Amino acid sequence: MTTTLARPPRTARTSAARPTGYRAVRLGGASVLVHGRTLLVVAVLLLALAAGCVANLSLGESSVPPLEAVRSVLGLTDEHDFVIGVLRLPRLTVALLVGAALAVAGGLIQTVARNPLASPDIIGVSQGAAAVAVIAMTYGLASTAVLPYWAIAGGLGAAVLVYLFAWRGGLHAGRFVLVGIGFAVALRSVTQLFLTKGDHTVAQQATVWMTGSFNGRGYAEAEPLAWALLAVVPAVCWAARAQRTVTLDDDTAIALGVRLNVTRVGLAGVGVLLAALATGTAGPVDFVALLSPQIARRLTGTAQIPLLTTALVGALLTVLADLLARTLFSPTELPAGVVTAAIGAPYLLWLILKNRTGGRA
Amino acid sequence: MSILSKPGNEPGGEQGNGPERFSGDGPPAGRLAARGLTLGYDADRPVVDALDLDIPDGEVTVIVGPNACGKSTTLRALGRLLKPRAGTVLLDGAELHTLPTRRIAQSLGLLPQTPVAPEAITVADLVSRGRQPHQRWWQQWSPADEAAVAEAMERTDVSGLADRPVDALSGGQRQRVWIAMALAQQTDLLLLDEPTTYLDIAHQVEVLNLVRQLATPTDETPARTVVTVLHDLNQAARYADHLVAMKDGRIAAQGHPDEIVTAELVGEVFGLAAVVIPDPVTGSPLVVPEAPTPLPGEAR
Repeated sequence: MTTTLARPPRTARTSAARPTGYRAVRLGGASVLVHGRTLLVVAVLLLALAAGCVANLSLGESSVPPLEAVRSVLGLTDEHDFVIGVLRLPRLTVALLVGAALAVAGGLIQTVARNPLASPDIIGVSQGAAAVAVIAMTYGLASTAVLPYWAIAGGLGAAVLVYLFAWRGGLHAGRFVLVGIGFAVALRSVTQLFLTKGDHTVAQQATVWMTGSFNGRGYAEAEPLAWALLAVVPAVCWAARAQRTVTLDDDTAIALGVRLNVTRVGLAGVGVLLAALATGTAGPVDFVALLSPQIARRLTGTAQIPLLTTALVGALLTVLADLLARTLFSPTELPAGVVTAAIGAPYLLWLILKNRTGGRA
Repeated sequence: MSILSKPGNEPGGEQGNGPERFSGDGPPAGRLAARGLTLGYDADRPVVDALDLDIPDGEVTVIVGPNACGKSTTLRALGRLLKPRAGTVLLDGAELHTLPTRRIAQSLGLLPQTPVAPEAITVADLVSRGRQPHQRWWQQWSPADEAAVAEAMERTDVSGLADRPVDALSGGQRQRVWIAMALAQQTDLLLLDEPTTYLDIAHQVEVLNLVRQLATPTDETPARTVVTVLHDLNQAARYADHLVAMKDGRIAAQGHPDEIVTAELVGEVFGLAAVVIPDPVTGSPLVVPEAPTPLPGEAR
C-alpha cells in the first residue's frame, strides 16, 4: 500500500488515540466505531448499484427506457409488466442476493484464512455443491425446485469434510486452505465422472447450471435466499467485530481474550452457509467471492475486510456480469459465471504473481 | 534515567533474602505461579518437567537459559497459550485453564515472540485492539478506551506515529508499538517473549529500559509485574529483579542476579567457561566468556 505518499505533514493535525479514520459515536454508555471513508464508499456504491440495476432492467433484447423501467418497478405503469415484472426484476433480485451472499462468504473465509486467495470457490464449497447437484441430476432426483437444496447440502457437506480433515486440536488457517484446495480438486473430478456417466441432456443441463447462470431464476429461488440472508445479519454484525482480533496472529488474539477456535469456526461457518445457499440458487458464479472482499478493502482502506461494502461490491459485480452476459452476444446468452470468470481469472493470476514477488496481498 | 540504578531498591519488596523467598511449594507468593507444571509436545519427552515457579509481584522476572531449555515454553504456558500436560498455572489462586480467557486477558497481557499485524493497519488501530478484553459489542469505544490507548502510546513514545502504517516502521518502532498494544490492555501482569529478538543493540536497550519503567510505579499506575524471556545473560542480569535460570526443563537457580550469577552457574547452565565481573555502569554481574582459542591475532 502506498499510504505514505499522500500524507499531510504530521504537524497538520493531532492524531486522536483511536483507530485511524474512525469516529466514536457514543450514546449513553453505548459506543460504536464508525469508519468515515467506509460511509462514503457505501453511499457511492449504493448509487452505482442503483444505476446498475436500472441498466440491467432497461437493457436487453427489448429495451425499456430507464425512466419507464423505474416507473414499472414502482408500479406506476403496467405497460412493461411482462419484460420488467416477469422477466427481468425477479432475475435481478436473485442476482443481487447471490452476489451479496457470495461476497460476504468470501470476506469471512478470507478473514479466517488470513489469505486473499481463499474463497468458497477455492476451498471446495462450490465444488461440493456442484458435485452433489450433478449426482442428483444424473439419477433424476433433482427437479428445478429441489436442485438448490441438493446443492446446499453438497456445499455444507464439503465444508464439514474440510473442517474435519483440517482440524488438529484447532483450526489452523493454512491447513484449512490447503485441505480445502485438495477437496476442491477431488470433488471436481467426481463432478466430471458423473457428467460423463450421465446421458446427454442431463450433462448439458448440468453444464449450464455449473457455470452459474441467472437465466430462468426468479422469486421462487430468491425467497429462501432472502430469508437466509436476513437471518445471518446478526451473525455478520458479530463477525465484523470478531474480525478485529482474528486478523492478528493466533497468540496475540488469544492473549487478547478471544476464543479463537470458536470464533474461527463461527466465522467460517457463516461464510460456508452463505456460499452454499448462493451456489444452490444460481450455480457456482465464480470469482465474486474471491474478488469482492479485496476490492472492498482497497476502496475503504481498512485493515480488515469491510463486510457491508463487500456485500455491495459483490451485488454490483454480479448485476453487471448478468447484464453483460445477457447483452454481450445477444440474442445468445452467456452464463453470468463466464463473465465473472473472465474478470476474475486475470485478477487471480495477478494475486499469485504479486505474492510470488514477495508482496503480501 | 533512574532505570540503570540498581534494580534492587524497588518499592514493594525487601530485597536480598535470597532464593528461599520463592520456595515453590505451598501457597503462591504472588499473583502468578506454577505448580508441578509439565509441558511438552509429545508425551514421553516433556520439555518442562514438574516445574514450580513463583512470579514476584511488581517486579521484572527474567527467564534465561540455553536454547531448548524450555524458557519460552514456560512463558507460553504462563500465558495460557500452551495447555499443561500435568500440573497447573495459578492466577490469583485459581487454575488458569478453568478461567474464561477474556477474564484472564483483563489481568494478564502477553506479547508473543513474532506477532503479526494485518497488512496496512495503522499504529493507532493496532494499539487500540489491545482494548478488546474491556469492550462489548455495544461498547466499542468508551472514553476509558481512548484514555488507555493515549497513555499506552505516550508511554512507549509512539504517539507521533499514530497514523503511520505499521508496515512502514523500523524494527525498534514496531516493537514499541506492539508493547503499546499490550499496555493498552491495562493488565497488572505482562509477559514478553524475547522482546529484543531481531533488534539492534540500541533498540534492545530502548525496549529493556521501557520494560524497567513498567515495573516502576508512577503516580497513576502501580508497578506492573513483568515476566520476560531474554537470550542475553548480561541484559538479564542488568534488568532483572528476579532471575530464573533454566536448564533441561528445570530451574537451575533463581533469585536476584547479584546473588545467583556466578562463574559456576554460567558453567553449569550454559556449559561456558566465563569470568563474572561487576558491570562498570550498573554494578550488576557481567559475564565475560573466556578468551577465544586461538586468539584473533594467532589465527593465521
